[in-house]
Order: sequence, then structure tokens, then C-alpha cells
Amino acid sequence: MEVLASGKGVYRMPDPDGHREWVRTHKSREPKNKVMSEQEAIEKFVSDGDYLGYDLNIHKRGPTALFREIIRQKKKDLWVAVRFSGLDPALLIAGGCVSRIDIGWFMYGGTCSRAIQEGKIKTTEWSNSAVVYRQLAGAMGLPFLPLRYLGGSDVFERSGAKLVKDPFTGQEICLVPALNLDVAVVHAYQCDEYGNTRIFGAGLSPLETCTCAKKLIISTEEIISNEEIRRQPQLTTIPYYLVDAVVHLPFGTYPGAMPGVYGADGEHQIELIMADRAGTMDDYLEKWVYSVESHTDMLEKRVGTTKLLELMKMETIKEGYRA
Amino acid sequence: MSKEINFTEAEHMLCATANLIEEDKAYWVAIGGPPLMAMMLARRQRIPNVFYVVEDGTVSPQPPTYVPFLSGASGSAGYRAIAWKDMSTMGFHCALGYYDYGILDCLQVDMYGNINSSFVGGDYEHPRRRFGGAGGANEIASMCWRVIIMTEHQKRKFPERAEFITSPGYLDGSPQARERAGLPARTGPYRVVSDKAIFGFDEETRRMKLLAIVPWATAEEVLQEMAFEPLVAKPLGTVSPPTEEQLTILRSEIDPEGRVVSQGKWIEFQP
Repeated sequence: MEVLASGKGVYRMPDPDGHREWVRTHKSREPKNKVMSEQEAIEKFVSDGDYLGYDLNIHKRGPTALFREIIRQKKKDLWVAVRFSGLDPALLIAGGCVSRIDIGWFMYGGTCSRAIQEGKIKTTEWSNSAVVYRQLAGAMGLPFLPLRYLGGSDVFERSGAKLVKDPFTGQEICLVPALNLDVAVVHAYQCDEYGNTRIFGAGLSPLETCTCAKKLIISTEEIISNEEIRRQPQLTTIPYYLVDAVVHLPFGTYPGAMPGVYGADGEHQIELIMADRAGTMDDYLEKWVYSVESHTDMLEKRVGTTKLLELMKMETIKEGYRA
Repeated sequence: MSKEINFTEAEHMLCATANLIEEDKAYWVAIGGPPLMAMMLARRQRIPNVFYVVEDGTVSPQPPTYVPFLSGASGSAGYRAIAWKDMSTMGFHCALGYYDYGILDCLQVDMYGNINSSFVGGDYEHPRRRFGGAGGANEIASMCWRVIIMTEHQKRKFPERAEFITSPGYLDGSPQARERAGLPARTGPYRVVSDKAIFGFDEETRRMKLLAIVPWATAEEVLQEMAFEPLVAKPLGTVSPPTEEQLTILRSEIDPEGRVVSQGKWIEFQP
């Protein structure tokens, strides 16, 4: 295949056979109880230097409680895919967890801008869909996929994409390398103890994100029985054998919204935006992450029942978010 | 003499964009801010059932009109949609040619309709002001049949060449430049809506072309605030100003907190 142009961006080299080998040796097909604490899940399944991916963001259904645990455990040198993101990457960056990001879109605030200027973080440009498409290729077990965008732009120049001559039609087409995450963290509505998972709502990319990962941690609002899963199999988004850990974390996307269950904490979101802008993320992390032992401890000491009930009352539209 | 109406430049831009939205076409709209607000205005005022998708996979919702601060976050953004899919599905349907129009806003748009939404000043490694990234704009600008671009009318917003091409217009303007970059044939920017004018693109040269100006500005004023000289249609059309009805909807339902509609200069218009 004739390569006409190549982006200059750094990318993770695809390795479909390496991924298959990982699945063969590490992924249990046995339906076993995978419920564990957030401390245990992050300790076991997130390693320094991992490529980390996640679904959605700090405003809506992002795995924010798991992010806080990653920061608490001071994980280092993560390469993170950020697309459709808010200040969620800023949390990890402020926690010193990140060395490289692949950019679709994120809220480019003070924390990220300082880290990039100081050379602490390296970037490669993509678009939201291009990052998801790379994960789709990874989820299909392929080394790359062709797509009909990116080409011609300066984003292409800063990406790891290639423009080639399609060997079938002879026409120009852009290719992106597959992305298989080392670890994905995803917040769900319901799952059983084996990891059969239900995610409701417009989804962004839960399927691609979960399927392309070597290790998958699901945090969930609710744990339901396997009987319940089998009663409505059409609702299962992710089957158990993709999942390594199930963490029961009600309000696990706080301060974001879990559509149909609870709303976003606007005051907290503003506190975060101000901390990001003012360069006081250390204080923010001290208050919300380091000075508490766990997600439950944070909800008790920093949020409180009154606020949690208020967030639940806010979310008046529930249609479609219940089994 | 009819009553004077007052509105901001931002309000005019939202109304002028909303007026371009056609029934029975499919739109892919950037998920927050002015493009989605223009869509909600068109639906509320004129064409309640016009079809649109946003990139998280929400297909043709009927949200309550009010767009809250965290517009994508609550259950209300996807309320009464016909489907909840995902980002890949939106990309597939766009690649197949189902989406007629994309609506985007930007930092800069150049003479060939190339869009910058990444950074201004400096270079990629050392940007003076950097913004989020391509987001969904690159795929929207690449694959929708036609793209409508919103921008404030200022010289720095209309450079001869975008400082960074985040999303492709007609690239260098040469014939088939988009096709040679692997993009779908016969696609590209269609209209640029500013607070002073509406532009199209010349079919021969693919250069931006001034089509119509607002009644409170002259063609000279419009051209002065651009870093390149667009082609100029003859005769030049007139952009309709906002109506009282549109302004009431914008101010009381779509943006009651005035986050967007309060931006820009006030215009005192005497019809």
C-alpha cells in the first residue's frame, strides 16, 4: 500500500497478536465474583506507565471516583486518551499521574496548559471520533482502520494517522492505528458480581472503550443479581468476560451527573474550575482526595446526605435510565 | 415608522443561523454553545421537528428548550430522543452521507473555509492561547454534505490562512483538494454567518464570497474587518435582523442567564 503522507504525532504501536496473547493468558472466562474495593481494583489493575482510557467525563457518567483513587495511589506516567472530556484530565495531571495525552477534546484549563508548557506532558492530536475509531479498531482485533476525516488538516500533521492509496479503488484514504488500552475505567448503572454490565443513555463509546482494553475496571451505581441480568439480556452492554473488577460505588461519578439517577453538583464543578484557573489544584486534591480514605469517606465527610439527596431530587427526568 | 428593536451581535448571529435551518434536512450540531442554541431557536420558533444529532449519540431529542450551563450533562439533554446511540454510530451515518448539514463555531475561518479551533498565537509547541482540540468538528467539517460556520466579525477571526487547520474547508482551494486528502467528494463549507454578514463559497475558485450584509453595516465596514478580500456577490443581499419573537425566545427560554446572548455590541435597529 502506497503511503502518501504521515502525521508526525507519537502513537502507541498497535499489537493485535500481543493483545490476543494477553487475553489468552490473563482474561478468565470463568464467571466468578469480581467485586472488590476501589483500593484493591486500582492497586491490582492500574500500573505505572499504563495507557489508560475511560468513557465520558467529569460532567456526566465519568469514572471520577476511580480517578480519585488512582490519584490517591499516586500512579505515575500514564498515557491517557482524552476525548469529549472536561476537567477530568486536569485531575489526573494535577495528581502527577500523567505523562502523555492523545487529544480529541478536553477543557484546556490552567493545569493542563502549565503542565504542557513545562514539558511535563506530551501531546498528540486526534479528534473525538478518531480516538474512538482507534479504540474500535482495537476492539475488532485489527491493526488499523480507514476513515473519511482527519486528512488535509493540521490535526492530521500532528496525529499518528497516514494517508494512503486505497489498494482496491486507488483513491486516497486516511488510516488510523488501532488503540488497545492497557486499562479502561468505566462507570455503569448496573452490573452483576461477575461483571455483566448495563449502561443506559447516549453512550459516547462504552463498547469500544471496554472491549479494546487489556484490563477493565467497572464501577457501578448498583449491583444486581445474575438472575436479573438474564431476565433482560437485551440490556447487557458488556458481557462479564471482558471485566476484571467490579467496584460498587454509588455516586461514583460525583461531582458529575448520572442521567436519570442524580444531577451534577454545580457548586463543586465551579470550585474545580476556579482551582484549575487559580493554580490551586493541590488544595483541591487535598480536600477531595488525599484527606479522605475512600469514596465513601469523601461522601460522608465532604459531601453529606443533604447534598446527595438534593442531587437526586434535581434529576427529574428518569425515562430510559431504568431497567 | 415601526418600533426600534435592540439586540446584541450574538443574538443576531444566533437568529441569522437559525433562519438558515431547513425542515426535512438532517443536522449534526456541535454539542454545546451557539450551534446548538441556533438549532433550538429554529425548532422552537419555526420547525419543531427538524432532525439533529449531537456527537455523544443523541438522535433527534426533544429537550426542554432551556440549555443549562452543563448542557450535555443532565437527562434533559437527551429527553424524548428517537435513539440513544454512540459516537461511532454518528460517524458511520455521517460517512454514509445521511447528514446534510453540520453547524460549527470556531476561533478562525480563512478564505477557503478552513477552520481553526485549536490555538491562536505562537506555534503548536508554544501556543499563546490554546483551546481544547478538534473535538467533533473535524469529522463534522469533513463528512457532512454542507457546513455552516458561525463566527464573530473581527479581523483576527478572518485570517488569510487559518493559523492551524483544525477542521478542513477547501484546504488550499485547488480542485479536488478535499478528495485528495481522503475526504468524501462534493462536501465542504457552505455558509459563514457573522454578526455583520453571510458568506458563501465560489464554486469555481472555492473562495469565500460575501453574499449579504446586515442593514446596519456597509460593505466597506464588513470588508475592513477581514484580513483577506473575499469575492463579493452582485447584487449584495440583505441579512434579515432578528424578530421580536426570536429575541423573546432566546432571552426567556434558551439563554435566560445571558451567557451567550449578552455578548458583543448592542445594535439599535430601526426597521
